[in-house]
Amino acid sequence: MANDILLKIEGLRASVEDKEILKGVDLTIRKGEIHAVMGPNGAGKSTLSAVLAGKPQFTVTEGSIEFMGRNLLEMSPEERAWAGIFLSFQYPVEIPGVTITNFMKTAVNAHREGRGLEPLKAGDFLKLMREKMAFVQMKPEFAKREVNVGFSGGEKKRNEIFQMAMLDPTLAILDETDSGLDVDALRIVANGVNALHTPEKAAIVITHYQRLLEYIVPDVVHVLKDGRIVKTAGKELVAEIEEKGYDNI
Amino acid sequence: MTEIILVSEGQLNRRIDVPGGESADMVLIVFPGISCDVRLDVNLNGEGAEANILGAYICGGEEKVNIAIDMHHKLPHCNSRQLFKGIAGGRSKVDFYGKITVAQDAQKTEAYQENHNILLSDGAKVDTKPQLEIYADDVKCSHGATIGRLNEEEQFYMRSRGITLEDAKVLQMISFIAPVLENIDDEAQREAIAAEFDRHIRNIIRSM
Repeated sequence: MANDILLKIEGLRASVEDKEILKGVDLTIRKGEIHAVMGPNGAGKSTLSAVLAGKPQFTVTEGSIEFMGRNLLEMSPEERAWAGIFLSFQYPVEIPGVTITNFMKTAVNAHREGRGLEPLKAGDFLKLMREKMAFVQMKPEFAKREVNVGFSGGEKKRNEIFQMAMLDPTLAILDETDSGLDVDALRIVANGVNALHTPEKAAIVITHYQRLLEYIVPDVVHVLKDGRIVKTAGKELVAEIEEKGYDNI
Repeated sequence: MTEIILVSEGQLNRRIDVPGGESADMVLIVFPGISCDVRLDVNLNGEGAEANILGAYICGGEEKVNIAIDMHHKLPHCNSRQLFKGIAGGRSKVDFYGKITVAQDAQKTEAYQENHNILLSDGAKVDTKPQLEIYADDVKCSHGATIGRLNEEEQFYMRSRGITLEDAKVLQMISFIAPVLENIDDEAQREAIAAEFDRHIRNIIRSM
């Protein structure tokens, strides 16, 4: 059904500093679906996530992206966030001097303003924060820490999923969320993503390895190679990649 | 008690003498629209004297901000710390000069000086000249100066969470200035000055 479509990418070409990375990507994602995008290093996986989130350094040269019927390419990164897109960064950025509380308060209230709502009351905000931090097993004292400064790899990724839980996006894009995680952290992160998933939402899980996909089970698997999707199949493709390697797909 | 000086247009010349065992603490604030020439001559005159001289400046127009600090360590066991942080936009011009002199007798001195700047426009100019002159041999001294721009990776990260570009820049600049403002003891005054910074920062961003 056409109105089930959340995201529709057609003929997407994108470059950074005049180097073309995405060379014609087509991808349709419906409500309730989890898509895995797998591929070797340098295939364009992170570029795809950056273009979806609207990173200014990337230029879309051709094609279109529609999100819930809106032209995503005309929207700023913050407008995309308000519309319900969330990118979990492969390398979450450190912001010295800005505490997680202040960062999230600004973000949550910007979302509310974008939707014509009043700012959240201080007490309600703190309650929401405590609840979502517990959800990803972040210690309460992290609320006062500067965003990602001095965090371990696992703490940074849990902080990403915490932010995702706070903002409750319709489309979550997880860019190499498994990189640098031990099994325990991986399980916490994956459980978080699974718990946030509903039939009204969708997720794109970008990864090099099959490991994360044992915890977050995809409905559709795509292989991205040299800026194009070269194969699309069900979750059985993950095992095939593991067996044959990307060279033989 | 830290003395807070809201610098006004024009000259500010001040000689500060700190007797042994005492401390001179000062925070200088320069808001937009103010061109000034600040000269501080700080003398640590007795053993165990201390000085904490901090400052924050923000300019977004045609301002000329000159700040010159001479810090004299004359006797042993004196400590000094200087931290100046500033934001320069528009066609403003900032000159920072800071000199720490440690006399031969001033053993066990600890003296630190930092000056960090954010440039908001190609038309703004910052010159920073930190200097050390040390005649004693058992001292801890350092100085550092940087001139940078707002980090775009941070901005994209914040925007991807729905924070507007304007709010992202305000957060970056307020957090940059915060280590200076933290030294204002009176909470109401600190918050009032932080709110003034917030207002000025937004005006400068909107005029860009």
